[in-house]
Amino acid sequence: MTDVLIVVALLLVAGAATAAVLNRDPVRQALVLSFLGLALALLFTFLQAPDVALSQLAVGSAVTPLMILLTVRKVRRRPGDSTDKGRER
Amino acid sequence: MRADDGWLAVALVPLLALVPVLWRVSRGAPEDRLIAQNLSSLLGGLALLPAAQGFGRPAYVDVALVLSVLGPTGTLIYARFLGVLPGSRLVRRTALLGVPAIVLPLCVAAGPGRAMAKLLLIGALLIAGSVVTGAGGGRGRKAAADGGRTA
Repeated sequence: MTDVLIVVALLLVAGAATAAVLNRDPVRQALVLSFLGLALALLFTFLQAPDVALSQLAVGSAVTPLMILLTVRKVRRRPGDSTDKGRER
Repeated sequence: MRADDGWLAVALVPLLALVPVLWRVSRGAPEDRLIAQNLSSLLGGLALLPAAQGFGRPAYVDVALVLSVLGPTGTLIYARFLGVLPGSRLVRRTALLGVPAIVLPLCVAAGPGRAMAKLLLIGALLIAGSVVTGAGGGRGRKAAADGGRTA
Protein backbone atom coordinates (compact mmCIF):
# COMPACT_ATOMS: atom_id res chain seq x y z
CA MET A 1 0.00 0.00 0.00
CA THR A 2 2.89 2.33 0.71
CA ASP A 3 4.18 1.67 -2.80
CA VAL A 4 0.84 2.73 -4.30
CA LEU A 5 0.97 6.01 -2.37
CA ILE A 6 4.54 6.63 -3.50
CA VAL A 7 3.69 5.88 -7.15
CA VAL A 8 0.68 8.24 -7.13
CA ALA A 9 2.73 10.99 -5.48
CA LEU A 10 5.52 10.46 -8.02
CA LEU A 11 3.03 10.76 -10.90
CA LEU A 12 1.70 13.98 -9.37
CA VAL A 13 5.23 15.37 -9.11
CA ALA A 14 6.00 14.44 -12.71
CA GLY A 15 2.74 15.93 -13.98
CA ALA A 16 3.14 19.15 -12.01
CA ALA A 17 6.76 19.59 -13.11
CA THR A 18 5.81 19.05 -16.77
CA ALA A 19 2.93 21.52 -16.44
CA ALA A 20 5.25 24.08 -14.83
CA VAL A 21 7.60 23.80 -17.80
CA LEU A 22 4.84 24.00 -20.40
CA ASN A 23 3.19 27.10 -18.93
CA ARG A 24 4.69 30.28 -20.33
CA ASP A 25 3.16 33.01 -18.17
CA PRO A 26 5.25 33.47 -14.97
CA VAL A 27 2.20 34.19 -12.80
CA ARG A 28 0.56 30.94 -13.87
CA GLN A 29 3.87 29.14 -13.45
CA ALA A 30 3.99 30.35 -9.84
CA LEU A 31 0.65 28.68 -9.12
CA VAL A 32 1.80 25.42 -10.73
CA LEU A 33 5.07 25.64 -8.79
CA SER A 34 3.21 25.86 -5.48
CA PHE A 35 1.32 22.70 -6.48
CA LEU A 36 4.66 21.07 -7.30
CA GLY A 37 5.97 22.01 -3.86
CA LEU A 38 2.95 20.43 -2.23
CA ALA A 39 3.28 17.24 -4.30
CA LEU A 40 6.97 16.99 -3.40
CA ALA A 41 6.16 17.43 0.29
CA LEU A 42 3.62 14.62 0.06
CA LEU A 43 6.15 12.42 -1.71
CA PHE A 44 8.83 13.07 0.92
CA THR A 45 6.37 12.25 3.70
CA PHE A 46 5.44 8.95 2.06
CA LEU A 47 9.17 8.20 1.71
CA GLN A 48 9.47 8.55 5.53
CA ALA A 49 11.27 11.89 5.46
CA PRO A 50 8.94 14.35 7.21
CA ASP A 51 11.76 16.77 8.07
CA VAL A 52 12.59 17.23 4.40
CA ALA A 53 8.86 17.56 3.71
CA LEU A 54 8.57 20.37 6.25
CA SER A 55 11.32 22.44 4.68
CA GLN A 56 10.05 21.65 1.18
CA LEU A 57 6.59 22.80 2.21
CA ALA A 58 7.87 26.12 3.53
CA VAL A 59 10.22 26.79 0.60
CA GLY A 60 8.37 25.22 -2.31
CA SER A 61 4.78 26.10 -1.62
CA ALA A 62 5.18 29.56 -0.08
CA VAL A 63 8.52 31.30 -0.53
CA THR A 64 9.44 30.47 -4.15
CA PRO A 65 6.06 31.46 -5.70
CA LEU A 66 6.02 34.59 -3.55
CA MET A 67 9.47 35.58 -4.83
CA ILE A 68 8.36 34.94 -8.44
CA LEU A 69 5.26 37.07 -7.98
CA LEU A 70 7.24 39.90 -6.37
CA THR A 71 9.76 39.79 -9.22
CA VAL A 72 7.05 39.81 -11.88
CA ARG A 73 5.40 42.82 -10.29
CA LYS A 74 8.67 44.70 -10.02
CA VAL A 75 9.63 43.97 -13.65
CA ARG A 76 6.22 44.87 -15.06
CA ARG A 77 5.99 48.13 -13.18
CA ARG A 78 9.32 49.48 -14.42
CA PRO A 79 8.66 50.38 -18.11
CA GLY A 80 5.42 52.31 -17.66
CA ASP A 81 5.93 54.19 -14.43
CA SER A 82 2.86 56.36 -15.03
CA THR A 83 0.48 53.51 -14.15
CA ASP A 84 0.77 53.16 -10.41
CA LYS A 85 -1.13 49.86 -10.28
CA GLY A 86 0.84 47.03 -11.84
CA ARG A 87 -2.17 44.77 -12.15
CA GLU A 88 -1.83 41.75 -14.39
CA ARG A 89 -5.31 41.54 -15.85
CA MET B 1 7.96 -1.04 10.25
CA ARG B 2 4.35 -2.09 10.62
CA ALA B 3 2.09 -0.22 8.24
CA ASP B 4 -1.67 -0.16 8.62
CA ASP B 5 -3.05 -0.60 5.12
CA GLY B 6 -6.55 0.64 5.91
CA TRP B 7 -5.42 4.12 6.88
CA LEU B 8 -3.11 4.29 3.88
CA ALA B 9 -6.04 3.39 1.63
CA VAL B 10 -7.94 6.30 3.19
CA ALA B 11 -4.96 8.56 2.44
CA LEU B 12 -5.10 7.44 -1.18
CA VAL B 13 -8.55 9.00 -1.71
CA PRO B 14 -7.57 12.70 -1.34
CA LEU B 15 -4.33 11.92 -3.14
CA LEU B 16 -6.21 10.66 -6.19
CA ALA B 17 -8.52 13.67 -5.94
CA LEU B 18 -5.41 15.82 -6.48
CA VAL B 19 -5.09 14.53 -10.07
CA PRO B 20 -8.03 16.54 -11.53
CA VAL B 21 -6.93 19.46 -9.37
CA LEU B 22 -3.54 19.31 -11.10
CA TRP B 23 -5.37 19.44 -14.43
CA ARG B 24 -7.23 22.59 -13.41
CA VAL B 25 -4.16 24.26 -11.95
CA SER B 26 -2.19 23.71 -15.14
CA ARG B 27 -4.94 24.46 -17.69
CA GLY B 28 -7.61 26.92 -16.71
CA ALA B 29 -8.63 30.52 -16.16
CA PRO B 30 -6.61 32.36 -13.48
CA GLU B 31 -9.53 32.29 -11.05
CA ASP B 32 -9.87 28.53 -11.55
CA ARG B 33 -6.16 28.11 -10.88
CA LEU B 34 -6.42 30.01 -7.62
CA ILE B 35 -9.36 27.83 -6.52
CA ALA B 36 -7.39 24.73 -7.53
CA GLN B 37 -4.36 25.89 -5.52
CA ASN B 38 -6.61 26.44 -2.52
CA LEU B 39 -8.18 23.00 -2.93
CA SER B 40 -4.80 21.33 -3.38
CA SER B 41 -3.52 22.47 0.03
CA LEU B 42 -6.74 21.27 1.66
CA LEU B 43 -6.54 17.86 -0.04
CA GLY B 44 -2.83 17.59 0.81
CA GLY B 45 -3.60 18.09 4.48
CA LEU B 46 -6.37 15.50 4.28
CA ALA B 47 -3.96 13.01 2.68
CA LEU B 48 -1.24 13.56 5.28
CA LEU B 49 -3.40 12.96 8.36
CA PRO B 50 -4.41 9.32 7.68
CA ALA B 51 -0.93 8.63 6.28
CA ALA B 52 0.58 9.58 9.65
CA GLN B 53 -1.77 7.14 11.36
CA GLY B 54 -1.10 4.46 8.74
CA PHE B 55 2.66 4.68 9.11
CA GLY B 56 2.30 4.55 12.89
CA ARG B 57 4.25 7.79 13.29
CA PRO B 58 2.10 10.46 14.99
CA ALA B 59 4.91 12.99 14.53
CA TYR B 60 4.14 13.10 10.79
CA VAL B 61 1.04 15.09 11.70
CA ASP B 62 3.32 18.12 12.09
CA VAL B 63 3.62 18.37 8.30
CA ALA B 64 -0.17 18.63 8.05
CA LEU B 65 -0.14 21.28 10.80
CA VAL B 66 2.36 23.42 8.88
CA LEU B 67 0.38 22.91 5.68
CA SER B 68 -2.89 23.93 7.31
CA VAL B 69 -1.27 27.23 8.31
CA LEU B 70 0.70 27.89 5.11
CA GLY B 71 -1.97 26.82 2.59
CA PRO B 72 -4.62 29.48 3.22
CA THR B 73 -1.87 32.05 3.80
CA GLY B 74 -0.46 31.29 0.35
CA THR B 75 -3.92 31.52 -1.20
CA LEU B 76 -4.45 34.95 0.36
CA ILE B 77 -1.03 36.07 -0.92
CA TYR B 78 -1.97 35.00 -4.46
CA ALA B 79 -5.32 36.74 -4.11
CA ARG B 80 -3.50 39.91 -3.09
CA PHE B 81 -1.27 39.78 -6.19
CA LEU B 82 -3.89 38.66 -8.68
CA GLY B 83 -6.39 41.17 -7.32
CA VAL B 84 -9.19 38.62 -7.10
CA LEU B 85 -10.33 36.11 -4.48
CA PRO B 86 -12.87 33.86 -6.19
CA GLY B 87 -15.44 32.23 -3.97
CA SER B 88 -15.71 28.50 -4.32
CA ARG B 89 -18.53 26.35 -3.05
CA LEU B 90 -16.48 23.26 -3.89
CA VAL B 91 -13.69 24.22 -1.47
CA ARG B 92 -16.13 24.98 1.34
CA ARG B 93 -18.06 21.75 0.83
CA THR B 94 -14.90 19.67 0.64
CA ALA B 95 -13.71 21.20 3.90
CA LEU B 96 -17.00 20.91 5.74
CA LEU B 97 -17.61 17.31 4.64
CA GLY B 98 -14.11 15.88 4.17
CA VAL B 99 -12.33 17.22 7.23
CA PRO B 100 -14.77 15.80 9.83
CA ALA B 101 -15.01 12.55 7.86
CA ILE B 102 -11.25 12.03 8.20
CA VAL B 103 -10.39 13.80 11.47
CA LEU B 104 -13.11 12.27 13.67
CA PRO B 105 -12.16 8.59 12.99
CA LEU B 106 -8.53 9.56 13.56
CA CYS B 107 -9.48 11.09 16.90
CA VAL B 108 -11.27 7.88 17.87
CA ALA B 109 -8.19 5.89 16.87
CA ALA B 110 -5.83 8.21 18.72
CA GLY B 111 -7.84 8.27 21.94
CA PRO B 112 -7.98 11.21 24.34
CA GLY B 113 -4.76 13.07 24.89
CA ARG B 114 -2.39 15.48 23.24
CA ALA B 115 -2.52 13.71 19.87
CA MET B 116 -6.30 14.12 19.74
CA ALA B 117 -6.06 17.82 20.64
CA LYS B 118 -3.52 18.29 17.87
CA LEU B 119 -5.75 16.52 15.34
CA LEU B 120 -8.72 18.67 16.35
CA LEU B 121 -6.58 21.80 16.04
CA ILE B 122 -5.46 20.83 12.54
CA GLY B 123 -9.04 20.07 11.52
CA ALA B 124 -10.23 23.41 12.84
CA LEU B 125 -7.41 25.22 11.02
CA LEU B 126 -8.21 23.43 7.74
CA ILE B 127 -11.92 24.25 7.99
CA ALA B 128 -11.32 27.86 9.04
CA GLY B 129 -8.78 28.47 6.28
CA SER B 130 -11.01 26.95 3.60
CA VAL B 131 -14.10 28.85 4.75
CA VAL B 132 -12.24 32.16 4.78
CA THR B 133 -10.49 31.69 1.44
CA GLY B 134 -13.47 29.97 -0.22
CA ALA B 135 -15.93 32.64 0.82
CA GLY B 136 -14.92 34.83 -2.08
CA GLY B 137 -15.34 38.55 -2.24
CA GLY B 138 -12.18 40.59 -2.27
CA ARG B 139 -14.28 43.35 -0.78
CA GLY B 140 -12.07 43.46 2.31
CA ARG B 141 -11.30 41.16 5.15
CA LYS B 142 -14.53 41.61 7.08
CA ALA B 143 -16.69 40.94 4.03
CA ALA B 144 -14.73 37.79 3.27
CA ALA B 145 -15.07 36.59 6.86
CA ASP B 146 -18.79 37.35 6.95
CA GLY B 147 -19.41 35.77 3.57
CA GLY B 148 -18.68 32.30 4.95
CA ARG B 149 -22.24 31.80 6.17
CA THR B 150 -23.89 32.88 2.94
CA ALA B 151 -24.21 30.18 0.32
